[in-house]
Amino acid sequence: MESQPEKRAAAEPADSGGEGGAGGLPQVAGGRSEDRVTLLLRLRAQIKQQLVEYKSMVDANEEKTPEQIMQENQIEDKIEELENEIEEVKIAYEMKSIALNSEFMDNMKQILKLNKLIIRSQKESRSLERKRLEIRKKRLDLKKASESKLLEIQTEKNKQKEDLDSMENSDKIKTIRQNLQMEINVTTVIQHVFQNLILGSKTNWAEDSALKEIVLQLEKNLTRI
Amino acid sequence: MSVLRPLDKLPGLNTATVLLVGADDALLQRLADSMLKTDCASELRVHLARSLPLPSNVNRPRVDLLVFVINLHSKYSLQSVEKSLHHVDASFFLGKACFLATGAGRENLCSVHRNTIVRLARTYRSPVLFCDLEVEGSRAAMAQRLARMLQISAGHVPGVSAMSLLSLLRSSESPSLEDL
Repeated sequence: MESQPEKRAAAEPADSGGEGGAGGLPQVAGGRSEDRVTLLLRLRAQIKQQLVEYKSMVDANEEKTPEQIMQENQIEDKIEELENEIEEVKIAYEMKSIALNSEFMDNMKQILKLNKLIIRSQKESRSLERKRLEIRKKRLDLKKASESKLLEIQTEKNKQKEDLDSMENSDKIKTIRQNLQMEINVTTVIQHVFQNLILGSKTNWAEDSALKEIVLQLEKNLTRI
Repeated sequence: MSVLRPLDKLPGLNTATVLLVGADDALLQRLADSMLKTDCASELRVHLARSLPLPSNVNRPRVDLLVFVINLHSKYSLQSVEKSLHHVDASFFLGKACFLATGAGRENLCSVHRNTIVRLARTYRSPVLFCDLEVEGSRAAMAQRLARMLQISAGHVPGVSAMSLLSLLRSSESPSLEDL
């Protein structure tokens, strides 16, 4: 085979603080220590992964390769079988890692329990809130009823007072009062007349008990009725 | 060395190397530029080659990802890639190699059917990616994808290995429908 000339393209690191160089560790001259530590950790992960690769290749090469000559389609089938095996091993590994994440599962279970508790407490609080609302409504209704009743009582009282007042102010009473007053006046005049008659007659009314009684009675002021 | 092996050298620290193999220099160069522009925490190195085997006199780092670029508009690129495939060690196809087919959008210029590439990729149990390297947006997106794949194959992503990525990228194949 003819060997073709080979070209090499320039390499360009995208590391922060790194300089391009001919292979090897990019220089972190003047870089911060955190960048260094990150770089070292990344390199550590890389080297670990590469070591795993090499180890697995060594293990694979230790297995004996089948020496018998197989036909092409047999080889194909064998290859497919091996590929399926790889898939199954991968799946089993992932299932195991999930199952081994027991801490994770515990946390999830805890979270679910707490969520249920939260939902229940919320339901309870909601029903209590509703009851409270109902009671407040009832209280409000009772208050209103009592208010209206008081109002009724007040109006009744006012009505009675009004009736009383109107009664007092009615014309009948007025005329009766007037008549009464006139009678009182007339009687007072008659009283004075009798008084003056007795006093004018210049008799000694104090000696006679009957006359004394009459004079004293006339002294009673009729307006006091 | 006539055969390219994936794990024959020790890896460089924080370095990931991708080897783009393809007959079309311009496309490879453009893809290389796009890849170097991507934002990557590790140092990326892009090597270009028209075909394998590579000259053994050059000191080069170990190749983490091998991308075979096939231009659907030219049969020659497919042929050259097929020839180069013989010089690759089988262990590359455990997740460190992939096929990139470009130019599928323009049907009238395609001399290679996309099914050929799909079948080739299936033979080698490797993923095949389609894009249009002439279009800036598609190329940038593909470059980012390749950069991510490169990081995983180089072992820079903890917990994900090249082979697990391979099984993830495996498309649900229904060969009966394909052969219709």
